[in-house]
Amino acid sequence: MENEIKQTNNLSIPITIIIAGVLIAGAVLSSNRSGTNNVASAPQPQAVAENTGGLGKLAPITSADHIRGNPSAPVEIVEYSDPECPFCKRFHSTMQQAMSEYGKNGKIAWVYRHFPLDQLHSKARKEAEATECANELGGSDKFWAYTDRLFEVTPSNNNLDPAELPKIATYVGLDIQKFNTCLSSGKYAKHIEDDVQNAQATGGNGTPWSIVVAKNGKKYPLSGAQPYASVKQLIELALQGK
Amino acid sequence: MYGLIALAVSIVVFVFATWLPNFRLLWGVLGSSGVPFLDKLGLPLNLIGGIATNFTLFSASYTIAIAVLFGMNIAMIIYFLRRKIADARQAGISTGFLGIASGVLGIGCAACGSFILMNILTFIGASWVLSYLPLAGAEFGILGVSLLAISIYLTSRQIQNPTVCKI
Repeated sequence: MENEIKQTNNLSIPITIIIAGVLIAGAVLSSNRSGTNNVASAPQPQAVAENTGGLGKLAPITSADHIRGNPSAPVEIVEYSDPECPFCKRFHSTMQQAMSEYGKNGKIAWVYRHFPLDQLHSKARKEAEATECANELGGSDKFWAYTDRLFEVTPSNNNLDPAELPKIATYVGLDIQKFNTCLSSGKYAKHIEDDVQNAQATGGNGTPWSIVVAKNGKKYPLSGAQPYASVKQLIELALQGK
Repeated sequence: MYGLIALAVSIVVFVFATWLPNFRLLWGVLGSSGVPFLDKLGLPLNLIGGIATNFTLFSASYTIAIAVLFGMNIAMIIYFLRRKIADARQAGISTGFLGIASGVLGIGCAACGSFILMNILTFIGASWVLSYLPLAGAEFGILGVSLLAISIYLTSRQIQNPTVCKI
């Protein structure tokens, strides 16, 4: 009897380990295969793409996108970002560095798309809408000015006081009344959600999520706020069409 | 020799943690025939630098702690097994593996959105849980460090125990 109990105890630990392993393996496989994740609270797309196919789901870059730099650049970096993510804040500076090295001579273009992570940063989606309002009221220049300033002032991790949003609008020279009307209308909610869906469809598991697109169509996925050296190397590879 | 094993395993775990979010990129670049050898070598090395940019000080600390403790743990387990102690009670070893499993969940939480934890929670339909974790999933990293420390303690006690029949 005692032996049986001992045997049961001896088995329970390895079984727990196996279950943990299967859960982890399942999760990794699921993330790699489906290229989706249910970060946002809205209904999510089901398994949509194979590992490489996920990148093929990248929504075409059009004039409706927020593009910094040469729109006809041989290399485009599409970044899906969350304004309250501290790593996005860090990566924003990395991208600014890339633009100052490669953007000046038209070699790269930076395409900014929204990927607010509702479960971690409940304020991020509204902040994303605020950047769209800046774009509506002042065009691309104001969009980038607003976004730059937003990343500059936010303490990240959902700690930005919403009262700062109109202050940033004033700072970048927008009509504050029109800005407030736009922001309260929620008219850009669908636009933001479309970006979120596309980020997930391409395999985004978190933020920042970037895809470097070479002129020949080759795509390099980059997850997280990776060092500038990694970004630079991917740009060089993409420029060479490797 | 066991020091080298510990070091090697620690390095592997640490590198795994920094590469984890970008295995797809690495697979694509390393598997591409058009990419020069130096670039194939350089990209993985550059991505290791993500420990400074893609981790908070806190998450980098427990990730390094998990790597070091896991390396020590594996070296001790190998030492323990090589002594062929017949009465090999598994408690320490099992705790160690649970520690690394938990640690991996924590490692995934380094970047916003948690690479592994989010997918596991989604897999079991409980992604909402993340919003109730005060450290947004870093709790698993702390648990990993704790379990590995316990494992090292238990394994060291097993090593010190002489193989004798108790009266």
